[in-house]
Amino acid sequence: MKQRQRFALLMSVLLVVALVLGACGSSKKDDTSSPTSNAGDAQTGKEKPVELIWYTIGTPQKDLEMVNEEINKYTLEKINATVKINMIDWGDYTQKMGIITASGQPVDIMFTASWAFDYVQNARKGAFMPLNDLLQTHGQGILKALDPAFLEGSKVDGVNYGIPANKELPALEVWRFNKQLLDKYNLSIDNVYTLESLEPLLKVIKENEPNVTPLAIAKDFQPLLGYDFLIDKMPMAVKLDTTDYKVVNVLETPEMKQTLRTMHKYYKAGYIATEAATMDTMQDALLAGTWFADRAASQPFADNLWSASYGYPVVSTPAYEPIIYNWSVMGSLQAISANSKHPEKAMEFLNLLNTDPYLRNLVDSGIEGVHYEKIGENRMRNLPESKNYDMPTFSLGNIFLTYLNEDDPENKWEEFKSFNAAGKPSPILGFNFDPTNVATELAALQNVKEEFWSVLMTGTVDPDVYIPKAIEKFKAAGLDKIIEEAQKQLDAWVAENK
Amino acid sequence: MTERLASFFKDLNKNKALLLMALPATVWFICFSYLPMAGLVIAFKEYRYTREGFLASIIKSKWVGFGNFKFLFSTSDAYIITRNTLLYNAAFIVFGLILSVALAIVLSELTSRRLAKWFQTGMFMPHFLSWVIVSYFVFSFLSFDKGVINRVLEWFGREPIQWYYDKTYWPVILVIVYLWKTVGYNSVIYLAGILGIDRSLYEAAMIDGATKWQQIRNITIPSLKPLMIIMTLLAVGKIFYADFGLFYQVPRDSGTLYAVTNVIDTYVYRGLKVTGEIGMSAAAGLYQSVVGFVLVLLSNWIVRKIDQDSALF
Repeated sequence: MKQRQRFALLMSVLLVVALVLGACGSSKKDDTSSPTSNAGDAQTGKEKPVELIWYTIGTPQKDLEMVNEEINKYTLEKINATVKINMIDWGDYTQKMGIITASGQPVDIMFTASWAFDYVQNARKGAFMPLNDLLQTHGQGILKALDPAFLEGSKVDGVNYGIPANKELPALEVWRFNKQLLDKYNLSIDNVYTLESLEPLLKVIKENEPNVTPLAIAKDFQPLLGYDFLIDKMPMAVKLDTTDYKVVNVLETPEMKQTLRTMHKYYKAGYIATEAATMDTMQDALLAGTWFADRAASQPFADNLWSASYGYPVVSTPAYEPIIYNWSVMGSLQAISANSKHPEKAMEFLNLLNTDPYLRNLVDSGIEGVHYEKIGENRMRNLPESKNYDMPTFSLGNIFLTYLNEDDPENKWEEFKSFNAAGKPSPILGFNFDPTNVATELAALQNVKEEFWSVLMTGTVDPDVYIPKAIEKFKAAGLDKIIEEAQKQLDAWVAENK
Repeated sequence: MTERLASFFKDLNKNKALLLMALPATVWFICFSYLPMAGLVIAFKEYRYTREGFLASIIKSKWVGFGNFKFLFSTSDAYIITRNTLLYNAAFIVFGLILSVALAIVLSELTSRRLAKWFQTGMFMPHFLSWVIVSYFVFSFLSFDKGVINRVLEWFGREPIQWYYDKTYWPVILVIVYLWKTVGYNSVIYLAGILGIDRSLYEAAMIDGATKWQQIRNITIPSLKPLMIIMTLLAVGKIFYADFGLFYQVPRDSGTLYAVTNVIDTYVYRGLKVTGEIGMSAAAGLYQSVVGFVLVLLSNWIVRKIDQDSALF
């Protein structure tokens, strides 16, 4: 009896398995049948418009659907296509796009960058479609509109996989100051440039303002050393004024030792927050105005932006020359998915987005009369409804087409252009390290880096004790092998490109 | 054959209510636990995307054998993360068991039902908090310049401690925080077990003149034994999985504490968050499951040797 019951149970389990498998199987059949029917439509009648699926970064906006409809009216007329815009929030973007891509969900266009859904890595894994030919056939407008440095700098192994947004090109690091405190103590920032030159100012603030953090840095702080890192915050780097293109362990350089000694001195003097190495940001201090100086990435008229968003005057002075790095060129791109069924249409859409001021501003600022009103040829003012449609401008394409805000200077885009022209290219601009051969070592190295990097860079620990410890552990994790591999790849790249 | 089939349908018919009740869970397990097991093959591949979708990508990706597993064992960290994971989980199992059972007994002995409910709810609450929130609670205690504990230390004229950069105290802190969050939940399970014990056993004991302590030792604890064994066996199966939130969020990812806070899950996360190699993370997951599986079999085998009725299977 018992035996038979067991058999019955087994049979019913098998039945369920068969049912489930059957269900899965049939759904897959639907999947495969749809593209062929789509292709058929495209061939038989050109009238049938294409729907492009677009994923981009940013907090999903309330009025997105409304604006999307308006966009579709226009694109349907212009290129016989509509788009379905999907927004994924900042913090989720990398992970969600990774899953969407890995599982092969239908996507046509997607946002990618050096800092979100990593452009180079995903290009190498085969997530994006090569665009060189498409750019020639359907993207002539982009080729004309973009600063050529963007397309050149965003090539991966000689191939373009994304359309960069035309925006600021170099990275300019500046020291920012809380102007209220500068004025109060009558301090001048004219002589500030190096980390060391900050000291007299920090000292005054420390002595007189016990509730102010003199140098507001958090765990992601990294001193400027004049090196370009092959991977962000990993010790493999090449000197910016290099002539021999040698990859070095940056912890072993005299610049690093010297700078970290200074940082540690500042930390011990109380210029830096005690728990800086575990703080994600210093946002609280910035909003409360209880900081004196920090470092930030700048662009033309950035002081105005900062002052407006913090509600008190902020001024800045350069901390280094403007340098064009790989990551600054790849700050914002729109790529076409490798599994896109309509790559030509997707490129036509991107072409329109980067050249047509009407479409670019519609996507960026919403509907005229609802979200903004025009107050001049190229100038607009946000209406209260704009809070329901507030898009990250830099992520969506050519920013030089967007209307100026009410208080923007007339020459804003000219300033951007001269800013871009002033940038110095890093010696390894265009070289992208391929870590496939050293993936095991890199995973181990990553753990060592997390252990030592923040405490060293924020000056929390004594560099004379901890640098040797870190170097030893990095070496045990396989740093030498990675440097060797990087040097091999760099030498091959130099031989080909220099 | 037809006879067998007929009897099968008869059985099916007889048990249809029970089978129907088991159906949703069965389907769920098949869909989300058994079918995805086929994906374990990714652990042995260098996963790359292709145009044809997920399955085609798996098939076309290159085989790399055990290459994806190497990063788990390649450095001196391998010893540290294994030791931390095992020791912490062992401590959680032992202290968790003792505390949960003790609490359940105390709660069951409270004569005021109202008061018991109050305590129970109070201890249950932390279970619903996410580790991120718990980490801020802990930070409000341990912060260097604003934390409660350093204020108290100063009050007694002692030097404040940089909690997040000093690893001496963290093994204790982590165990306390973990127990605070989980003991309430587990004690409710034991409390339910205690309430299910036949009251006449206690009455008989009282007539024989047994003290409270003797009742607990000779009735309550032996009655709870099967439950304790099942809960412990289940916990042993997870001994190679560390609670990521506890070990990552609560120490605020402070590098100087890694020697005592780095566990397998945090190591894998830190190592792969930049490169995002799906094959290597699948390998780590497979390794954890296999070890967990072996440990459950082993501990069940030991339990069966000692007391056959208490074994899970």
